[in-house]
Amino acid sequence: MTDETPLIEVDNLRVRFHTPTRIVEAVRGLSFKLGREKLAIVGESGSGKSMTGRAILDLVPWPGEVLADRLAFRGEDLRTMDRTRRRALRGKSISMVMQDPKFSLNPVMSVGKQISEAFRLHHRLTGAEARDRTLAMLEAVQIREPGRVYDLYPHEVSGGMGQRIMIAMMLVGEPDVLIADEPTSALDVTVQAQVLQIMERLVSERGMGLILISHDLPLVSAFCDRVIVMYAGRAMETLDAKALGKGRHPYTKGLIECLPDLDYPKERLAVLNRDPAWIGP
Amino acid sequence: MSALPAIEVRNLNVHFGTAHVLRDVSFSVAAGESFGLVGESGSGKSTVLRALSGLNPNWSGTVRFNGRDHVTRPARDFYRQVQMVFQDPFGSLHPRLTVDACLAEPLAIHGIGDPDRRIEQALADVGLDHGFRFRYPNQLSGGQRQRVAIARALILEPSILLLDEPTSALDVSIQAEVLNLLQDLKNRRDLTMVLVSHNLAVVGHMCSRVAVMNGGVIVEEADIDTLRRQGGRHPYTQELLAASRHVALAQPMDQPAMV
Amino acid sequence: MSLYTYLTSERPASRRQAQLGQYYRQWQALKQNPLALMGLVIVIALLMLAALAPWVAPHDPIAQNLDQRLLAPSAKHFFGTDALGRDIFSRIVYGTRITLVIVLLVVISVGPLGLLIGTLSGYFGGIIDTILMRVTDIFLAFPRLVLALAFVAVLGPGIENAVIAIACTAWPPYARVARAETMVIRNADYIAAVRLQGASNARIVLKHVVPICIPSVIVRTTLDMAGIILTAAGLGFLGLGAQPPLPEWGAMIAAGREFVFDQWWVATFPGLAICLVALGFNLLGDGLRDVLDAK
Repeated sequence: MTDETPLIEVDNLRVRFHTPTRIVEAVRGLSFKLGREKLAIVGESGSGKSMTGRAILDLVPWPGEVLADRLAFRGEDLRTMDRTRRRALRGKSISMVMQDPKFSLNPVMSVGKQISEAFRLHHRLTGAEARDRTLAMLEAVQIREPGRVYDLYPHEVSGGMGQRIMIAMMLVGEPDVLIADEPTSALDVTVQAQVLQIMERLVSERGMGLILISHDLPLVSAFCDRVIVMYAGRAMETLDAKALGKGRHPYTKGLIECLPDLDYPKERLAVLNRDPAWIGP
Repeated sequence: MSALPAIEVRNLNVHFGTAHVLRDVSFSVAAGESFGLVGESGSGKSTVLRALSGLNPNWSGTVRFNGRDHVTRPARDFYRQVQMVFQDPFGSLHPRLTVDACLAEPLAIHGIGDPDRRIEQALADVGLDHGFRFRYPNQLSGGQRQRVAIARALILEPSILLLDEPTSALDVSIQAEVLNLLQDLKNRRDLTMVLVSHNLAVVGHMCSRVAVMNGGVIVEEADIDTLRRQGGRHPYTQELLAASRHVALAQPMDQPAMV
Repeated sequence: MSLYTYLTSERPASRRQAQLGQYYRQWQALKQNPLALMGLVIVIALLMLAALAPWVAPHDPIAQNLDQRLLAPSAKHFFGTDALGRDIFSRIVYGTRITLVIVLLVVISVGPLGLLIGTLSGYFGGIIDTILMRVTDIFLAFPRLVLALAFVAVLGPGIENAVIAIACTAWPPYARVARAETMVIRNADYIAAVRLQGASNARIVLKHVVPICIPSVIVRTTLDMAGIILTAAGLGFLGLGAQPPLPEWGAMIAAGREFVFDQWWVATFPGLAICLVALGFNLLGDGLRDVLDAK
């Protein structure tokens, strides 16, 4: 096992929103390291999982405040970095795929053109070179007939294809880390597995690190290496994805037990009893 | 002895302009049964509900509720028989009405007396105490709003409940609470339920029979038990089952590992 | 129970408590916006001046005093006197009443009319929508002041006729706003839900659609106030609105027109009054929009 610097280091991350009436703490003291692996951050709405991803990319909206003992990318401290360099990291070194391609793709530009633009932005290429690389990228995400799809507009492609295009676009800069925020939640279930497989293959091939943010425990257990279970801004448990069924924290167990399962019918779904002790001090 | 089916649908067809969105959809639901309609986006499952509920008058075919023919523009007392719960808890409650006003509305429309008692009872039935009665929707969480939507649907005491993805927009822990609630209410009031969902696990939990839809057609109809044990016969059903199982938990909690 | 606890309770015990609680929350939101507060202060000042005019104005607004003509502002006459020796300050104070009357009359007639036409048009669509919108378009095509002039020319000058003239041209935008809002919510689940309860179309439109459109119309109204005041002032300037000796601000500006270089105060102060009131309504409208839009 190589002892290389972790791609992302997060130590005691806190994200706070200062509203006129009170301070809302979205993330309270989260710590983890990301190597060349697939890490999942799982939680329900309000757990702080999305804010974690955004904090790494410096995309936390105002009036949010990000504090951490350490927030580093490949050993470089992200907090003390100057703004230009921080911005340059986005897309080039750390990329983000979001939930709904309908909202993250420019509706008035053809999808091929958008990817080409990303190519020209990150690598100095001519128009023709960018187009070639775009077509190759579209093939890499298993889009047949890339030449035809190149000229389509976002509203003309299906959800699954749109998300694959999104992934293609985000990999253009050849980033080291990909953060995917609910990448398959808006997709049909038959398409979900396919899109995740593509993402997983690309990530492994390029030796990238992946942070997959999701609310879907079973999904991440199938696709990721490690899982952090979050609740109320804190990590409840960190464990191997395949061992999720043996999770020990009552919140993890509660989340799994309240799921209906086609193959293991239950009389009644277990109800999660939220212990205020989990929120901590 | 053949009991009258609660819902009988024969050759339901719906066109949106030139698109033929529902083709010859036929199924029937016995009284007191939970029937699932499962499919992905664009399969037409929600369109079936909109036609059954009377929201969409542009359908053709035969639909009968408890033997009575369903017409494209139903009379008012139809709504005392058939009610619907919608998907999005954040869109199904009128933003300017308190929970109380929202529940009083159907009673006022049908001239049903004793509204105070009925409202309190409806809230209690869905597990909300009277502190919620005068809140506005923006003061309620997603799960609470969905409970109010269920209370609103049941306050007219219908015998048939149509549910359009009632828990898709909720967190899993809240989904569990709402599904348990629906099950309790169904048993207590002996409701006939038609549940539409893209989530096979949810349908498997709540329903006894299911129809799988794809491209506006029912490709297969089966008992949940049969589906579970023998898989589907139609290739699309198999694809759906495989995908749903693929993303199911690798090893459930209380089952010993298969060695 | 203190008033604060009553208003901020998370478990309101009655309809009234819930409604008051909501107004309180809206007030809290409005308070955050200093410009909106300024607008509110101006509007309240306008209302109070109008109500308390006889006590605030030091002189009789219509009493002429020909040996006190065109005096500069002083301690006795805060804003000076006009060509007939009348105290301008008192005239402005009494003029608030006229401004208010015109604005309120226009708004009361225009708001409900536009709202009704807009919601009916948006909700039913089809032929009803087409007819109503073409009617709206006809009225919208006329420049406001020109149509108002035409009406007044036919009906004769005077405040009531000025109000009718302005109202005739002011209602189309409200219909448009209400229609746009209705078309958006027409397909909402909560409207579908109430249809599924067996509600008649009339009930749906009046009880469910209109309340959603009201905030947009209110905001549009406050933003329009400035325009209405200016149109009334324009008519007054042309001598077609309020007739002398009524202290209508537009007419006052007209009367001061010939003295604007030497006795600047005769036209300037009424002009400033119009500016200030228009600004006040504008700021308040902007603030209300932010507050009422929040769901």
